[in-house]
Amino acid sequence: MVVTDSSDSGTILRVRGPLEFRCQLDSTDALLMHKVISRTFATLHSQVKSESCVLTVCESPVIIWPNKGVYVTPEEITPNTLCEDIHQWIQTDEQESAGKRSSKKKSKKSSAASVINLSLMMEATKTGPLSAPILRRTLQKSHFLSTTLPMDCVVRITCSDTIKDAFECLMEALTHQLLPDSQLETHRKELHQQFELQGDWPYFRRANAFHFPNELYKDGYLRNPHMVLTHPTLDNGKVYLVQGIYSYHHYMQDHVDDNGWGCAYRSLQTICSWFQQQGYVERAVPTHREIQKALVDVGDKQGSFVGSRQWIGSIEVQAVLNQLLEVTSKIMFVSQGSELASKGRELANHFLTEGTPIMIGGGVLAHTILGVAWSETTGQIRYLILDPHYTGAENLQVITDKGWCGWKGPDFWDQTAYYNLCLPQRPKVI
Amino acid sequence: MGRSYIVEDAVEGYLSELCEQRAGSVTGLLLGQSSPQRDFVVTATRTPPTEETLAGNSVDKEWVTEHARQVSRMLPGGLSVLGVFIITDTEAKDTLTTLRQLVFAVENLISSETLWSPAEDDVTDCVALHVNRKTRKTFCRTFDVKDPKSTAKPADWKYQSGVCSSWGMVSCCLLVDMLVPLPDKRTDPEYMDKCLKEELRGWAQQVESGVCLIDGKKLAEDAEFPGGQKRNVRQTYTAQILITPRPLVLLCQREQRLAEVERRCGGSVSLTGAVHSRAYLHSNKPKARLAEKLLKRDAVSTVATRVQMLLEELLTSEEENKSSGKHKREHCLPHRVFCPLKASRPLCVCDYQFSDESVCEVTERLKEMLDIDADEGDLDTRQESPAENTEREIAAEPTMETVVAPEPKRNTFIGKTLCTPSGLHSLITSPAILRLVTMQAETFIP
Repeated sequence: MVVTDSSDSGTILRVRGPLEFRCQLDSTDALLMHKVISRTFATLHSQVKSESCVLTVCESPVIIWPNKGVYVTPEEITPNTLCEDIHQWIQTDEQESAGKRSSKKKSKKSSAASVINLSLMMEATKTGPLSAPILRRTLQKSHFLSTTLPMDCVVRITCSDTIKDAFECLMEALTHQLLPDSQLETHRKELHQQFELQGDWPYFRRANAFHFPNELYKDGYLRNPHMVLTHPTLDNGKVYLVQGIYSYHHYMQDHVDDNGWGCAYRSLQTICSWFQQQGYVERAVPTHREIQKALVDVGDKQGSFVGSRQWIGSIEVQAVLNQLLEVTSKIMFVSQGSELASKGRELANHFLTEGTPIMIGGGVLAHTILGVAWSETTGQIRYLILDPHYTGAENLQVITDKGWCGWKGPDFWDQTAYYNLCLPQRPKVI
Repeated sequence: MGRSYIVEDAVEGYLSELCEQRAGSVTGLLLGQSSPQRDFVVTATRTPPTEETLAGNSVDKEWVTEHARQVSRMLPGGLSVLGVFIITDTEAKDTLTTLRQLVFAVENLISSETLWSPAEDDVTDCVALHVNRKTRKTFCRTFDVKDPKSTAKPADWKYQSGVCSSWGMVSCCLLVDMLVPLPDKRTDPEYMDKCLKEELRGWAQQVESGVCLIDGKKLAEDAEFPGGQKRNVRQTYTAQILITPRPLVLLCQREQRLAEVERRCGGSVSLTGAVHSRAYLHSNKPKARLAEKLLKRDAVSTVATRVQMLLEELLTSEEENKSSGKHKREHCLPHRVFCPLKASRPLCVCDYQFSDESVCEVTERLKEMLDIDADEGDLDTRQESPAENTEREIAAEPTMETVVAPEPKRNTFIGKTLCTPSGLHSLITSPAILRLVTMQAETFIP
């Protein structure tokens, strides 16, 4: 969990490293399989807690044994050294040697928190003598599970933390990664209390991971394209925006040619991505087929609907959100587009309390509303629209320049058509 | 400019003895360490006589190379087969072709078995020594074995006493813990051999790219290895190796996607335990990275050699292959035993002793392969203990029960669970660990 408090440019310790998960399942009994898998996790857990667990500071000769009384090499560093001093040992591009930097060459202080990267490793040597290896062969038709668990863990340290404090904290965080989300609810409650956070925003679920600035999103979707826009300033007006992260879903993505019929599906995908990325759900964003199947499953559509190119509307969006994500939504109806101008207060309230993207469908088009700029006194209103009809590549420049994500005025809507809006309600859990 | 071989005095005596012993040609191997500036020959051993070689004057090339392969397994890190010698009554030029063939054959066979990749700074010259029986004159040349077309280059051959007296040694005790699936349809020993080799290759890379600490410190690449020419300075160092886990890479990757999490298998093979690994370093200002390289290579080859020896045994004894169904077999790998080279102290050679062998079989092998006369008392058997079988190990695992319930303070979370190498697998049977995991989630208090 990382709180980027800009008033204090502290240091973040980040440890990354793979843990090998391997086990043999010689039974198809679910309970036994579960036991074996649990035991393997337990083994990994104890590896991380063992004296063989080692953290090496990247680009430096500093190595720490966190479970051996936080033993550090080189000897100039002790467990009571201030953790921030590790920076001085990290080799930058300007330097050749792996030794301590001269104190004159301090790195520029930036307002962003600096990161000390660590690698998780295991010490493969021990003091001997130990017994020679044994080869065990099991011959039985079974299943073999093997995967690499990419451990990735962060703690934030203050300037007064010693290495001992910081690394003990880091190790706890790391070992908690070997427990599933559900087991950690108590832990999250404690953290919420500690940081005095609202009781109903899931800050600490896995999905709400801090996004490190130099990492790209691997799935290729743009995140929050609206953030690069300049928001309108209205007299006595305020801007109310979606809270959190969503991905931009639009026509032609994922090799699905839904040009002309898939706009509501894409808006729904954008909404689902919000719920996934805020950690409310773990399931991936549904495909068109999955959306259609959900509607068949709830009895809203016939079986032939799956695989068809039929449009859906806000009611269907509401039904799918309920079926696949267990999210309830409110429906707002306006009999004519011109009425939308008067919905400023409701929309503002929605973004304040729920903060979820809104799907709006009417006539022949569907869009996603990501925010509203509204003045209570003048009644002026603007809508932040994410347009699913875009068919191009994930080019932020194009998308924002051409208004595929942009602020629109009340005349954006067909003034005589009726509109239904689906306002997803945020589950009040942590 | 040719290479320079600094040769231990005792080798001269040994070669002289061989000159006197019998007629006909005598071949053998020269053992030692190469460095970019010069090479050190620390000992020599004649090719073990067979009926054919005793009878005639011919050189049994296959036996020379096989002998070299077996000797190579008995050399700890830092020592290797540097080349071949031949003692004949003929002129040096007459044996050149034979020597060249032997040198290349020996080198090719040995390198075909190594699991590590050659390094840029490896010396690739091998020595071919001709000794004239009557005159005792030596004629020394080298061949670059990397170049199949290379020609003989002259080299210096100088005797010196106490060549190794200031050599350093770095050692470590390396844990081995591997688990590899056997394919669904092929669980025979040959395939097990292939699967294990593939896994060992991956493990070798893991060790090669691991971080090496000498005496607890990560030394810069170009730093000199501590120790050196002063006689009174301590010369043995302990190393630590830190590794990063790597994903399972299976044999026949074409058949199976690398990223597959779950696969059907016909069984599995695991290898757990520890090996003592060591490497000797010459005293001519060696670099830290040489120590690291030689130690890691020794670690990899000692495990690979033992697995190879075990599999060779299994392949020849076919009894258990016929039965099918659930079948668990356990085999102890041989443990490593060291024997000092009397004339080249502090260096040692080594051999592997299976649990059903006696020490005298080791001394016999040392005599046959390395022409060393050793008593049981000379052998160092303290570095490794014979592998223990599982039943005894589980009973002797008290560390499980001493894991305490987590207390509110952070500190006591740390480090109470000790994982001994074989304990990693017996941990699986302990319910205490499962309890610990669930307790953590409920009682954590920041």
